[in-house]
Amino acid sequence: MNTPGVYMMCIVAPMSIGHALLGLLEGGPRHGYDLKRAYDERFGQDRPLHYGQVYSTLSRLLKNGFVTDAGVEAGDGPERKRYAITDAGVTDVERWLSTPEKPEPYLQNTLYAKVVLALLSGRSAADVLDTQRSAHLDTMRELTRRKSDGDLADQLICDFALFHLEADLRWLELTAARIDQLAVEVNR
Amino acid sequence: MNRVIGDLVLGVRLAVGGSRKSWTRLALQGLGIGLGVAVLLFAASLPSVLDARQDRHNARNAVSEGTGPAPLLAESQSHPFRSEYVRGTYLRAMSPDAPVPQGIAKVPGDGEVFVSPALADLLATPAGTELLKPRFPQKVVGTISQAGLLNPRELLFFAGDARIQPNEHGNTVYGWGIAHEGGGMDPLLWLLSIVGIVVLLFPVLVFVGVATRLAAAQRDRRLAALRLVGASASRVRLIASGEALAGALAGLVVGFGLFYAVRPSLDRISISELSAFPSDVMPTTALTLTVVVAVPVLAVVTSLVAMRRTIIEPLGVVRDQKPVRRRVWWRLVPVVAGIALLVSQAGKIGETDGRPNQWPVVLGIVLLMLGIPVLLPWLVERVVFLMRGRTPALQLAVRRLQLDSGTAARVVGGVAVVLAGTVTLQMLLAGVEQEVRADEKKQANFNYLTINPGTDSDVNAIAAALKSSKGVTVVHRIDQAFGTLDSGGHIAINIASCEALAAQGPVPNCTDGKAYVVPYGDGQPTAQAGDVLTLRHSGEKWTVPSSLETTQATFPGLVLTPAAAKGLVAFNSQYIAKLDPSVPDAAEHARNALTVARPWQVFTYFVGQDDTAEAERVFGVIRRALLAGTLLTLLVAAASLLVVALEQVRERRRPLAVLAASGVPRGTLARSLLWQNALPLAISTVVSLATGIGLGVLVMRVFGAEVAYDWAGLGLITAIVVGLTFAVTALTLPSLRRATGALGLRTE
Amino acid sequence: MTLLRAEGLSKSFGKTQALDGAGISIRAGEVVAVMGPSGSGKSTLLHCIAGILPPDSGTVHYRDQDLTAMNDSTRSELRRTEFGFVFQFGQLVPELTCLENVALPLRLSGMKRKDAERAATDWLARLEVEDVAGQRPGETSGGQGQRVAVARALVTAPKVIFADEPTGALDSLNGERVMHLLTTAARETGAAVVLVTHEARVAAYSDREVVVRDGRSRDVEFAR
Repeated sequence: MNTPGVYMMCIVAPMSIGHALLGLLEGGPRHGYDLKRAYDERFGQDRPLHYGQVYSTLSRLLKNGFVTDAGVEAGDGPERKRYAITDAGVTDVERWLSTPEKPEPYLQNTLYAKVVLALLSGRSAADVLDTQRSAHLDTMRELTRRKSDGDLADQLICDFALFHLEADLRWLELTAARIDQLAVEVNR
Repeated sequence: MNRVIGDLVLGVRLAVGGSRKSWTRLALQGLGIGLGVAVLLFAASLPSVLDARQDRHNARNAVSEGTGPAPLLAESQSHPFRSEYVRGTYLRAMSPDAPVPQGIAKVPGDGEVFVSPALADLLATPAGTELLKPRFPQKVVGTISQAGLLNPRELLFFAGDARIQPNEHGNTVYGWGIAHEGGGMDPLLWLLSIVGIVVLLFPVLVFVGVATRLAAAQRDRRLAALRLVGASASRVRLIASGEALAGALAGLVVGFGLFYAVRPSLDRISISELSAFPSDVMPTTALTLTVVVAVPVLAVVTSLVAMRRTIIEPLGVVRDQKPVRRRVWWRLVPVVAGIALLVSQAGKIGETDGRPNQWPVVLGIVLLMLGIPVLLPWLVERVVFLMRGRTPALQLAVRRLQLDSGTAARVVGGVAVVLAGTVTLQMLLAGVEQEVRADEKKQANFNYLTINPGTDSDVNAIAAALKSSKGVTVVHRIDQAFGTLDSGGHIAINIASCEALAAQGPVPNCTDGKAYVVPYGDGQPTAQAGDVLTLRHSGEKWTVPSSLETTQATFPGLVLTPAAAKGLVAFNSQYIAKLDPSVPDAAEHARNALTVARPWQVFTYFVGQDDTAEAERVFGVIRRALLAGTLLTLLVAAASLLVVALEQVRERRRPLAVLAASGVPRGTLARSLLWQNALPLAISTVVSLATGIGLGVLVMRVFGAEVAYDWAGLGLITAIVVGLTFAVTALTLPSLRRATGALGLRTE
Repeated sequence: MTLLRAEGLSKSFGKTQALDGAGISIRAGEVVAVMGPSGSGKSTLLHCIAGILPPDSGTVHYRDQDLTAMNDSTRSELRRTEFGFVFQFGQLVPELTCLENVALPLRLSGMKRKDAERAATDWLARLEVEDVAGQRPGETSGGQGQRVAVARALVTAPKVIFADEPTGALDSLNGERVMHLLTTAARETGAAVVLVTHEARVAAYSDREVVVRDGRSRDVEFAR
């Protein structure tokens, strides 16, 4: 059960770069430079990954057995090692996608990544959204209950959270409504 | 000015250039106003028709005086056939340049006859061939053209007969065409026409008003959109008037179309007095212009008045929601004034035989009629306001009407005028019919044919021919004389045997030698025993016998048995032929037998069973025409009500759908619609029946006539109104069904 | 206890398939939000399970009665006696006063005018709108009108209240107020509420949600 908090500050949720890279690898083996480019293109709009971040994450995944070496590509580039996702990696992505994020404001980076990766991997993006909605609604129910029992200050504070959560959900609905369009774009 | 016209034109464009709905609305308006315009055009043609008739009537009058020997001799004669009269003239040309009557090619020679088309038709029927043709043994040499006929169904002939001799009655003709004074309409008939015209014209005006306002809610939305783009309130009103103008113009087109479509069939109307030559039916220029100008003006004014209380705002239409309590006092003015005028005239028209002061009567009727639509909105509002609604259905209807009863009241106001007028006409008709019937019944019971031969006829031949005629059982002879009292009174004297007297009515204990006196209808004695009379013709004095009995049996005057009439010389003889009631058309056979005499010298009087049947037919036709007119107007009104009801269902689609979804049975909703239609119609029917009967009674009083009620007719009208209420409701049900289906819940 | 259970519901309007094998189950006294994007078929689902629309296929059971097997008038009566309805707008009869509107369902069931109006007055008071009793709906504010509608839905003591976007035409504060009053009153009387909405804040008044998408309903209560 999630415990609702009171969000008065802008909290940037840590994006799970590892899951994102795993998700990208589901499309086929790639080398590190490709992965960085793909990630930046899709999720990194204003904050592109550093090479160091990519390789440290890949080496962690390699250590955990979620990815494996897929040989070195012939060429003259500095680093031509290719990585492929393992079965354990796929399972990990799956678990990640089907677990709702803790209902908190400013989740869009993670949620967006989940939706895109679900689409890329041919999974149901709608399921991702429904799962998240359910989690959000549970939090909202709790807030609503507290609001009904509380005084005006409680009500105002709860309402703040409720409106932010609602905004998330509305964004989810909007994304869900445009899933087909998005699917075309991400798979292009 | 240009802007005014521009705005009006924009309104016209909005009315015609739109969806199917706006076309439907325009079509309904066009039809409603068009019907009115057609009626107005026929009314406007009435003067031309009457003028044309009068002209031809004058052209028919003979100029009987002139210099030198008369070039033409003419004897007028009517041949009764059943209850119709075949009028005509027997002619004898005395010189080659004899004046030819209007409508025929030449003066018919001996044994030749010109007949009117209607007479030709009649002679061609089996009954005509058998029963009328024997009276026209002449050779038909042509038909009488329109120029010689008063109306297309007139039965008329011109026959040539060489036996005509010049006589002292003045049968000489020097020329044709002379205007005679007088001969105006019977005042009752005249009033009937006035009431009829008012009744017809009034709803026309009301409907022009109502039709202008059809589908007002839709129009209001359109106008609100105009406000939104920046039109000022006054310009919007002008644009709205433009829409009304479009309806009026469409109505004019439809009206003229209807007029010219119906006109050619006017000569087929079977009642000759009502038929007219299509070419005569031409609205006078002045009246046509009045119609063409007045109808659009009326439409525009009505729509401006209707919008007086409507404030069109950019985001919708605000009607002054607080229903203004209608004030009653000024609404009562026309009714009270009308009744007062009629009461003040009660009995006056009967007294003077000419034209009494008709204006108070006409004005009274018009005011009473005007009072109905004026009073009705107030009445509907009051009645509805007092109702609470026992059942939910009734409650829904009553509440709805409480909020806005005006529209419905105006529509039914038009109906009410028609109904009231129809009821009045029916009562007048019933009154006239009752009198006519009573007379006819009385005479029909006798079943005698009275024959009045001219003085120089061969009376013996007539008597013989009658006796041998089919269906004649006995022929009595009555001799007639005429005397003047010293006091100045004129006394008719009939000399007849007891059998002949019995043929005219019960005369108890009649023996030859008795003398009777028959008082006037009002009981005044005619002559008394011992009075001395100066006999007409002979100039001799004659004393009334001393033993005088009173009887009611026959005509006022003296009735003498032959023995009591000693010393009296009759100047005229009359035959009474007793007819066998089991022989059909015995009277016609007897009349045919009289052709042994010169046809213009014998007059017959008979009103028998066939004739009552004919009178009933005529009244039946008039009544059916009246009913047809009423039905037509009611249909237009029902159509208006339907539009109002449909519009209301459409406006209330959402609440209706929700009610149905919440489990309110559709039956309840349908019943509330029924009540909503029925309440105003019921109130207006009661009011119009009351007004109609009241007006009928007042008018009959004015003429001193006996009041008669046409309950069957009233029942029929009520039944039609009830039927229309159900029909309108039934026609609304499909849209109610659509609105209350679950689809009605889906957001628009 | 399951009060209302629908399975395999399909419904088409012309070529549009509004429902395609949807199902739902409502227990007595619970508040269920039916969510989904517009056009997903959530209103149609409500119309079908409330017996307003007959589905093309599938079954709807209320207690042990099969709604799909009933004729129109029986369903009407069921709706009138067992269900209550609140819609987004335009549900009050504009000619009747608010009091008469609330009393109407009772009068339709044959209750005397006086008794019906007394009960209606009580409910108007519970929803804090007793002061508009004598006014016509057009003279009240949106929030007041919606509360009158809730009173009308509750006055017959229904077992299920169907509310289709009941706050759709209201601002946040009025919407919250109506939802609070509706759910509180429903919990007090033990009525179940089927709440169709696309707003999460409104759905937050529910106990659980059912999501409708492309005519199919999903049960997403998994994290419990």
